[in-house]
Amino acid sequence: MGECCHRNNGGVFFVMKNVVFYFEVHQPRRLRTYRMKEIGTNHDYFWESKNKEIFLRAANRCYIPTTKLFTEMGINATFSLSGTFLEQALEYEPAVIDAFREYFDSGLGELMGETYYHSLASLWDKNEFAEQVREHEAILWELFKTRPKTFRNTELIYSDRIAEYVSSLGYRNILAEGTDQITSMHSPNYLYRSTSGLNLFLRNYKLSDDISFRFSNWGWNEFPLTADKYARWLDNSPGVMANLFMDYETFGEHQVSETGIFDFLKYLPIEFQKRKIEMLTVDKAAELFGRGDMISVPDPISWADTNRDISPWLGNEMQKEAFSEMQKLADNRNKQLWRHLQTSDIIYYMSTGMSPDQIVHDYFNPYKSPYYAFLSYMSILEDFRREYTGKS
Amino acid sequence: MKIAVIGWELPPAFSGGLGIHTINLFSIISKFADVEVFIPKMSMLYPAYPFSVKLVPLTYSGMKNNYEPLIPDFNNAVTEYNNNVVNYFDPRGTDVIHCHDWITFRAGIELKEKYGIPLVVTVHSTEIDRSGNFYPQKWIMDIEEEGMRKADHIITVSDYTKKIVLEMYHVPASKITTIHNGLGKHFYYLPPKNYDLSGYVLYFGRVTMQKGPKFFVEAAKKVTNKMPGVKFIIAGTGEQVEEMKFLARSLSIQDNIIFTGFVNLTEAIRYYRTSDLFVLPAVSEPFGITVLEAMSSGTPAIISTTTGVGEALKNILKAEFWDTDLIADYIIGVLRYRSLRSTLGSVGQIEAKRFTWENAAIETMEVYSSL
Repeated sequence: MGECCHRNNGGVFFVMKNVVFYFEVHQPRRLRTYRMKEIGTNHDYFWESKNKEIFLRAANRCYIPTTKLFTEMGINATFSLSGTFLEQALEYEPAVIDAFREYFDSGLGELMGETYYHSLASLWDKNEFAEQVREHEAILWELFKTRPKTFRNTELIYSDRIAEYVSSLGYRNILAEGTDQITSMHSPNYLYRSTSGLNLFLRNYKLSDDISFRFSNWGWNEFPLTADKYARWLDNSPGVMANLFMDYETFGEHQVSETGIFDFLKYLPIEFQKRKIEMLTVDKAAELFGRGDMISVPDPISWADTNRDISPWLGNEMQKEAFSEMQKLADNRNKQLWRHLQTSDIIYYMSTGMSPDQIVHDYFNPYKSPYYAFLSYMSILEDFRREYTGKS
Repeated sequence: MKIAVIGWELPPAFSGGLGIHTINLFSIISKFADVEVFIPKMSMLYPAYPFSVKLVPLTYSGMKNNYEPLIPDFNNAVTEYNNNVVNYFDPRGTDVIHCHDWITFRAGIELKEKYGIPLVVTVHSTEIDRSGNFYPQKWIMDIEEEGMRKADHIITVSDYTKKIVLEMYHVPASKITTIHNGLGKHFYYLPPKNYDLSGYVLYFGRVTMQKGPKFFVEAAKKVTNKMPGVKFIIAGTGEQVEEMKFLARSLSIQDNIIFTGFVNLTEAIRYYRTSDLFVLPAVSEPFGITVLEAMSSGTPAIISTTTGVGEALKNILKAEFWDTDLIADYIIGVLRYRSLRSTLGSVGQIEAKRFTWENAAIETMEVYSSL
């Protein structure tokens, strides 16, 4: 961090000189179309061919080339690699693990904790949540010999209560969405504190979405976005840091290579250097900026959809019924399988509506219909109930 | 602008979608253009319509009942009607001739050739659809082909039908426009539905090969194997009613199936509203207005992939018409899970209202002005 601030008309006014990159790296184990007649006879629930196809495509377009570029260009960033992502990487394309290992061995990055299954456990059971977090810590240790200090809950779902769970598990830092409601009072460009005492980082959604959503949008008045222009925006922003949190698949998958996203990424550290903007990992930023003001978030928020709440997962009656049926199976003989059935994407595919957000849901939905997603899931739960619960 | 519409029926005569289409579409277009609708003088009519109606006399003119004309020889009646339209036609001031289905094509072709007035034809269904692609009659397909070939522009009621027109009648895609039908105004303001289980599953439509009642009965059998108490309503008339009764008896589900006979609009709404779901396993359905009617009533719908309106709907369940295993799975799912019923029903109710006759009228006017 260079000169951090200057005085202007008596007020203290920081000049932003730091960037905190965080990337979500996650792939669910999607469930296949499961027919009622299979109940009681077929306990194979996963859509292997689709999962492999999607994983390999993302590996070749994004995970491998982007991670190598990060190492090569010396880009500092913090990552969450979900357990379901890691196990698919091991199964389908171990070169992805090698690329990440090389990156983390170089000391450029930080790995963070989450639930292994990228689940919604934080919303219904503290112990279930804790077990899934521990499971994720175990695989991070096994693969990368790292113990995470920073936590990112599924899709940035956050509330005071969730922060408290996370704090009790020994974490220091946590990420959340800088929703309009919060940022109307608190700029996302400073460090805050949760009610339970964690360092709280708020996503700067405007600057993040400029890259992840708008980068290749011809209709955007800032198109095309260059590294030089973007670095200038950061330089001119108030506050101490820009929290740029997004899906890792932004690079090469959501924004395909032809959009020039990789050139943008390549020139970004060069432009940052010209302006003396530093890239920090989350934990490093927490050390530098210490504890900020406390913010209370009583009801869960997230980074998804326009409402930034939990309605993408629990917005309609089907989703609520599916979620509640899954919970009823807690006493079972196959915890690992049951937890795979908790991956939040599965219930996200059941989201309905006519809003523009629905276009995003449809983009990710392998079934192309929330109703088929629901029917398959309910049949799978019924099979699971018969096979793995009650007296065997 | 003056448009001469060669039609076949108008409400309250109630046999297919053609009359409903004609009155809804041209009620709106008549606010912006002079519309003159020709129909055979044989059906029961309202005292007045929002456009001018030209009744064309036919030799046959008895009524079977209040709604259906008595036509001893349908093909003769079609020929006589088309000839008489040409004889009665006054070309002065007419800018467009707009024909609806093969039963009016010959008059349109002759008038275009005689007076050089541009011809638009709307394809509501083809012989391929009506026959369930089971022995389509070649002489009808020939009339359809000639009308489509000679028309300046063709309107199809779905992309599904457009594809049939392209593939079976070899018309260039450049002169075909798909315009979806709208939803009738009776269905616009129905309140949200109650999703408590009623135990009734509805088939509503003509009981004829094209609409797939056989697959409905077969799916019913598979559902009753698991849920014996469910009742299946077959609402409507058609030449396959007796065959379906026989099929139900031979599958031993005659007590589960209710045949209502002819159903009027008020009764139809009641059936839509009181059933847990609506099923249309049509072999080939160019549009399928009943699907929108059921959905706008708040009732979930299962349709075949060969039902045109499905191409524009998301909140619906689709299966191949012959896949009665999957249709039965869907029926059981909708009956078993209240949340599926209420989500599919209430989101679908909103989605169905996107189909308006105003949109159809604007798009039709755009076709006229492109000529």
